[in-house]
Amino acid sequence: MWETWLWAWCPKESQKADEYLREIQELGQLTQAVQQCIEAAGHEHQPDMQKSLLRVGLEGRAGQGWEGGGMDSWGSSLCCPLALLRRLPLETSIPMRVRRVLTARGDGEQGKYRYKQLTIQVLLDRYGKPRAGATLPPLSTPSHSLLYPLAIQICEYLRLPEVQGVSRILAHWACYKVQQKDVSDEDVARAINQKLGDTPGVSYSDIAARAYGCGRTELAIKLLEYEPRSGEQVPLLLKMKRSKLALSKAIESGDTDLVFTVLLHLKNELNRGDFFMTLRNQPMALSLYRQFCKHQELETLKDLYNQDDNHQELGSFHIRASYAAEERIEGRVAALQTAADAFYKAKNEFAAKATEDQMRLLRLQRRLEDELGGQFLDLSLHDTATTLILGGHNKRAEQLARDFRIPDKRLWWLKLTALADLEDWEELEKFSKSKKSPIGYLPFVEICMKQHNKYEAKKYASRVGPEQKVKALLLVGDVAQAADVAIEHRNEAELSLVLSHCTGATDGATADKIQRARAQAQKK
Amino acid sequence: MAFPHRPDAPELPDFSMLKRLARDQLIYLLEQLPGKKDLFIEADLMSPLDRIANVSILKQHEVDKLYKVENKPALSSNEQLCFLVRPRIKNMRYIANLVNADKLAGRTRKYKVIFSPQKFYACEMVLEEEGIYGDVSCDEWAFSLLPLDVDLLSMELPEFFRDYFLEGDQRWINTVAQALHLLSTLYGSFPNCYGIGRCAKMSYELWRKLEEEEDGETKGRRPEIGHIFLLDRDVDFVTALCSQVVYEGLVDDTFRIKCGSVDFGPEVTSSDKSLKVLLNAEDKVFNEIRNEHFSNVFGFLSQKARNLQAQYDRRRGMDIKQMKNFVSQELKGLKQEHRLLSLHIGACESIMKKKTKQDFQELIKTEHALLEGFNIRESTSYIEEHIDRQVSPIESLRLMCLLSITENGLIPKDYRSLKTQYLQSYGPDHLLTFSNLRRAGLLTEQAPGDTLTAVESKVSKLVTDKAAGKITDAFSSLAKRSNFRAISKKLNLIPRVDGEYDLKVPRDMAYVFSGAYVPLSCRIVEQVLERRSWQGLDEVVRLLNCSEFAFTDMTKDDKASSESLRLILVVFLGGCTFSEVSALRFLGREKGYRFIFLTTAVTNSARLMEAMSEVKA
Repeated sequence: MWETWLWAWCPKESQKADEYLREIQELGQLTQAVQQCIEAAGHEHQPDMQKSLLRVGLEGRAGQGWEGGGMDSWGSSLCCPLALLRRLPLETSIPMRVRRVLTARGDGEQGKYRYKQLTIQVLLDRYGKPRAGATLPPLSTPSHSLLYPLAIQICEYLRLPEVQGVSRILAHWACYKVQQKDVSDEDVARAINQKLGDTPGVSYSDIAARAYGCGRTELAIKLLEYEPRSGEQVPLLLKMKRSKLALSKAIESGDTDLVFTVLLHLKNELNRGDFFMTLRNQPMALSLYRQFCKHQELETLKDLYNQDDNHQELGSFHIRASYAAEERIEGRVAALQTAADAFYKAKNEFAAKATEDQMRLLRLQRRLEDELGGQFLDLSLHDTATTLILGGHNKRAEQLARDFRIPDKRLWWLKLTALADLEDWEELEKFSKSKKSPIGYLPFVEICMKQHNKYEAKKYASRVGPEQKVKALLLVGDVAQAADVAIEHRNEAELSLVLSHCTGATDGATADKIQRARAQAQKK
Repeated sequence: MAFPHRPDAPELPDFSMLKRLARDQLIYLLEQLPGKKDLFIEADLMSPLDRIANVSILKQHEVDKLYKVENKPALSSNEQLCFLVRPRIKNMRYIANLVNADKLAGRTRKYKVIFSPQKFYACEMVLEEEGIYGDVSCDEWAFSLLPLDVDLLSMELPEFFRDYFLEGDQRWINTVAQALHLLSTLYGSFPNCYGIGRCAKMSYELWRKLEEEEDGETKGRRPEIGHIFLLDRDVDFVTALCSQVVYEGLVDDTFRIKCGSVDFGPEVTSSDKSLKVLLNAEDKVFNEIRNEHFSNVFGFLSQKARNLQAQYDRRRGMDIKQMKNFVSQELKGLKQEHRLLSLHIGACESIMKKKTKQDFQELIKTEHALLEGFNIRESTSYIEEHIDRQVSPIESLRLMCLLSITENGLIPKDYRSLKTQYLQSYGPDHLLTFSNLRRAGLLTEQAPGDTLTAVESKVSKLVTDKAAGKITDAFSSLAKRSNFRAISKKLNLIPRVDGEYDLKVPRDMAYVFSGAYVPLSCRIVEQVLERRSWQGLDEVVRLLNCSEFAFTDMTKDDKASSESLRLILVVFLGGCTFSEVSALRFLGREKGYRFIFLTTAVTNSARLMEAMSEVKA
């Protein structure tokens, strides 16, 4: 595209050049020659001369039927700024200025091939950026701002993608704008935002960084407000020592690592009290920091809770401490006492009482270990009682039940299970007759069956109340009698339950009986 | 049995690509440490790693010995050590101890830490505090999506649940967003997005940000997955707390499926050895029964066994040539099927032994009573007895939570007495567990009286819906309530039963709970998909007290084929259960959808409770 365009601007003449070209071609050095021509054009300062060299080069290329290859793209990228050079004077009001800018760029420094090195982007950057090169006239003068519209025009002309072109110029312009010390922060910020809007590729944080570089912190903060990616705002805010603002921005970004970074900054920057206060207002950061402390800085965690008067969590903290740190029983009890106190302060009476019970239990368990031997520490209350019964210390178990107010139901379950485990059937029977069972007698049947003692189970089955009679009979395997009871009860659910227990051959008669009873019930 | 998909059901995308990606990346990371090296792997990562790269692949890339990261000194003598760990502080200390011990002994080795799925700043900080930051090189293995099955992707992050829902730690949200981003890069962006819950919303927004920052490359892609639905686990705790009765869920509850495979013990294999079995769609027998209600499974398996026998028997009348054919072509397949059949029959027997006893039926009966909200007193005393008998600490806890959530919290008297009983039975250290459960809203005390509800309903009659919503918000900030009963009524979660519910031919998703309850999470998904928005569900959203969102990108929606629009990715933040998977698979078959599941981890009631438990280590 650029090629054609270039030809339109080049006067068609120079027979001579064509002849040369043929000569070179015959020598087989065309490639080299073309390259030289084009490169020479790059070196040439005089537009007319550039034009000729380029024309020859490109013609040679066309003549040879150049297709693709590295040279092609290189050639057009070179041609493009040159074409621009040609075009600009016609379209702009400050041709000389432009030419100076375009031609002054790039010679010197390291440049061998001026345009080759000077990619379009760099060209634009330099063009737009104030005080970029030493050879330039001071560009920060007011008249320089006239160049920005021009630069934008160039971009549009070159049909550069927005991100590479216009956005860059706008960004440069904004960076220039923040240096205008006579304009108020608000006005600058507004002006920049008005012009830039949310142009893709523009980084408000870069512009803000520039503003901060010029000592305009407030302006920088205002500019950062326009930055859509909160994560981008954080590093600069930290640099500007606006850590609290940085914290809220980091939280907004949803990036926990960023939040953590800011937290560590804050921790070093603020005194402990202020740091904790800041955390208090930011639940997300607080949770994050707590999680860290839980694993790495337990003492800080405690301080955090203290600061907040969070007695509930303090209580939990001490309970945890009683497990983790202390081996000796005294230490554990002491930690639990602290926990209980905290729970009282938190008005959590339940937890306080439970903790006190735990202390009592621990002390008792220690005593039991001393007096009876064996393992008691850290058993639950239930298991402590069971262990006592299994060890034959029934009296002690009963004392324990009284001291710790074990409810009757639990005590019965517990004794029943333990005695059955011991297979102390005599004692179990005595126990069952000690008073009316608060859990009924079905559990006795169940537990005996679990120990495979059908004989004992049957004893208790007879004492099971009518509501659970069927279940009890089924448990001991007396399907026939179960059927009788169910029929007597005229209870459909019970009937089907019995029926589901009838197995093939042996209970055929019973099954028939039930079916008959059912049929009869339906008739009625 | 194993209902086929409708003929117009869309094909599932090929997720094996995710495995290849993860493997290539891991190999690349290993190659970054050229030469022989010992690999230290965190226990939690072993099974997922095994699904990606087996030992021989690791050996190919010069991994010499494998060690488990545990609290024991490592005896490795290798000059290069590589650690593959989750970003946890305790791992950092483990590594630091190892490196510092080397330093003391005047030994220099090369250390490399690979964090999966990403590293956290806090971890690097600890390395620095321990003075070894300069000695180790850190890398990330962005392996966050493991395809457990053709339609099930797991992030294998069980700690997500506790971290987010209990500790309020949001660090994994970024990981979720990255995972979604990966999916949208590979399979096209999702034109329709819905979600409910705070975490869902944050993950969604972070993911959108990632998409926007990305250049246009993926944007032009034709979307393969038409809908994405994000759902926080705390929107529906009830479903996760129920006993599972579909086969796959029951196997999970009984034997614990870990990373898509299960260890069947000697009682199942009927030999003296345990067997590790991969459970997925490739197991033809399993694939046919996984979504079935357990009551059907045994009958199906025995029928299958008879068919198999018949096929074996065919060889009796065969001549030599036919026999040769049979042996070379069919026998292997039959033997394979035989092996699988006997395994699943073994598993069934074992489950039946454990579950079909009286106790289990009573348990299920109580659960159903709780779900339907009748005989609360009776259920409460059942739970009490459960605790008194020390049946199982986790089960007792689960029942207490189920009671609390379905009843909007326990009445103060029960709250105290059940907790006291529990502490007496299972040990005082559970005091901390209760404080956790309360914080997570799983086990709470009813606000004094139901006065709030009364006031609220009065007020809401007087003012418009919107204002009522605000008032409810204000109330619920006082006490987060589950409102399960009201939601259940609104969404019709308890199907009206006329006659017996035929579990062989399910009518609705309730079949996964024996016809007693439609999983809330799945019902929400169904309702929103039907409307393609939350319209008309305002009341439900208000009761759920969670923020919801819906977003349709018309430009992408137009590009999506009608097939991909019936492909739905459901993301469970905090874990999903196999029952939910089965229920949605059923819904998919009914409606001609296909569901794809993405979960932070596969969960069940026991795992939820364990995540909340805090007992002395």
